[in-house]
Amino acid sequence: MTLIGISINHRTSPIELRESVHLSINEQQDFISILKDKVLEEGFIISTCNRTEIFGIPAKGNLKTDEIAEYLIKFKKVENLLPEHIETFTGEDALLHIGKVAAGIDSLITGDSQILSQCKESFRISVNEEFSNTITRKIFDIAVRIGKRSIKETLISQGAVTVSYAAIQVIEKIFASLEKKSALVIGAGETSELAAVHLMSRNIGNITITNRTAEKAGKLAKKVGGSTIDFAEFREYLHKFDVILSATSADKIIVQYDDIKKAISKRRGTPIFIMDIAIPRDIDSSVRKIDNVFYNDIDSLNVIVEQNLKKRKSEIPKVEKIINEEVGNFYNWYNTLGIIPTIKSLRSFFEEIERDELEKIKYKVTKEDYVKLEDMAKRLVGRILHNPTVKLRELAEKGDNLDKANQHTSVINYLFDLDKGNVNNNKNNGR
Amino acid sequence: MINTLHLLNNVLPILYILTFGIYIYDFVKDNGKVHNVKRVFLFISLFLHILYLLIRTAEFNHPPITNKFEIFTVLAFCLAFSYFLIELFTDIRGTGAFIIFFSVIFQLISTIFIQDLHEVKEVLRNRLLGIHVISALGGYAGFTIAAVYGLLFFMLYKDIKLNKFGLIFKRLPSLEILEKLNFYAVLIGFILLTFSMLIGFIWLPEAFPNINYLDPKLISVGIVWLIFGIGILAKVMAKLYGKKVIVFSIVGYIIAILSMLVSNVFTQTFHSFY
Repeated sequence: MTLIGISINHRTSPIELRESVHLSINEQQDFISILKDKVLEEGFIISTCNRTEIFGIPAKGNLKTDEIAEYLIKFKKVENLLPEHIETFTGEDALLHIGKVAAGIDSLITGDSQILSQCKESFRISVNEEFSNTITRKIFDIAVRIGKRSIKETLISQGAVTVSYAAIQVIEKIFASLEKKSALVIGAGETSELAAVHLMSRNIGNITITNRTAEKAGKLAKKVGGSTIDFAEFREYLHKFDVILSATSADKIIVQYDDIKKAISKRRGTPIFIMDIAIPRDIDSSVRKIDNVFYNDIDSLNVIVEQNLKKRKSEIPKVEKIINEEVGNFYNWYNTLGIIPTIKSLRSFFEEIERDELEKIKYKVTKEDYVKLEDMAKRLVGRILHNPTVKLRELAEKGDNLDKANQHTSVINYLFDLDKGNVNNNKNNGR
Repeated sequence: MINTLHLLNNVLPILYILTFGIYIYDFVKDNGKVHNVKRVFLFISLFLHILYLLIRTAEFNHPPITNKFEIFTVLAFCLAFSYFLIELFTDIRGTGAFIIFFSVIFQLISTIFIQDLHEVKEVLRNRLLGIHVISALGGYAGFTIAAVYGLLFFMLYKDIKLNKFGLIFKRLPSLEILEKLNFYAVLIGFILLTFSMLIGFIWLPEAFPNINYLDPKLISVGIVWLIFGIGILAKVMAKLYGKKVIVFSIVGYIIAILSMLVSNVFTQTFHSFY
């Protein structure tokens, strides 16, 4: 098999280059038709913010990976994409690489589980554009299975690896469920939005936004299905919130120690989780000394992120084992491809004889006897073919006896004249 | 039957140690390998333990409450059984090792020192006394479990406050759940202790005509009952949460143990049978 492919990814290229070769869904569809016309018989494209990968089976035998890259450069009109920015793969290496991508161990953030759904989407496009055939479809199956098994059988995708998720992890160690909890988001910038979205995704009971510019707060509140509170007054209502998240661009402290002290005494000991992800910080960090106040800033949350990333990296050998197993399975399947036509022909050959011989006696015996004879003939053919079929499959699936398997198929083809598809010859000879 | 009893007496600590080991392994590793096995081990231990207690009752013709070491084995059972119910109903499986540890200790001491007692004071053969003592032990087991959850609450609380995200942070359930478990354990303990006290009020005057309601043991139990009762009322009425509630239950537990020790060891009481 001559699976070949190229990869422009976060290890080989800076973000500007990755952006310049990124293919939107429409672009993928257009580029697939070029690839189909010019270079590849079948294949697929994976294009995300961190990687663009093009893999396929060459239409002509001597196709080089450089040619695929050249087509991409022309299509995207990229000028500064150099050979060192492109990784190339052929044969088994290509399969192993696809496995690593699907499992998320080649991602910028180890164990990124989003990549699997991005792969599935790419495979779907390939199928829709009729760019996939038997081999690529099998590769899709293998890749998806690698991704799923890695998530299920290892800890590669476990644990929070972003500051916002790490904060959620801490919140979930304080509160049993977020459904009845209230959150206050101070600030309405990109970071606040991301954190608010994370909180909503964890079904927080209600979310309130406050911001110097009320309009921005309103916009974000609408987006996350929350409400707003006047920035000048929010300190008076701090006791109503279980989670306070601050990410403004203020250059000095906006929530003082006393504000939180007052809030916690009104709450009769019910804890408050405070997440200050602003730089410089928005909340006086000495609030961490107050009982039942759990204060976290970027540095403390990064400790969780680093721990989880370390743990994910330690899972890579287990994922690699899964990849090797699945690539092995792929080759087992692939090796049987050459044998299947022989097995099919052999079966047709015997079935034709069976039908022919049954036809001859159809009107010479009673109906009941014919049914019995028909049944016997079927069983006879089944038993005769059982061992050769199993042995051939075994030989092929082991993979190390491919020559022997090819020899055997040649002998079978020769002995039964299967290449010519001549059951009729046999029919005549039998007469 | 006596041979079976001796065999079970020796097997029980081994089983509890094994169960404790599996719970510890699961707590440290959390790789899912023994996630269900540990519950099976706990179930087998409890099944054999109740069998042991029943055989003991039948063999010696008295409930297993006639000496300290029988009390210890009942206490070991109550603790493990209460935890088993908590795990079954809440499906919170990360705290077992901390409670089964106490069952291991109590059962081990009991196994080493327990003796076959055919002859006991007649009063100790009374069924009401059996229910009275066993429900009191259930009550104290509830308070012990509450104290364990209280300590776990403090450990996790401290780790989160100090941004230490180690094993305790990863394995324990949330503070809110630990607080709830602590409260439920106190509640169950309080109900059982109240039940035991009620039985006592019915049975004691019959068994001891010279009963003295100012007996140190009765007063100490009364104080413990009051402390936990006030704690439960404060929690329910004032809707208190967190550290304060936990401190209350731990202090209550310490007072319960101390008052028990003082009334049993340092004072003379009609209520002392061993």
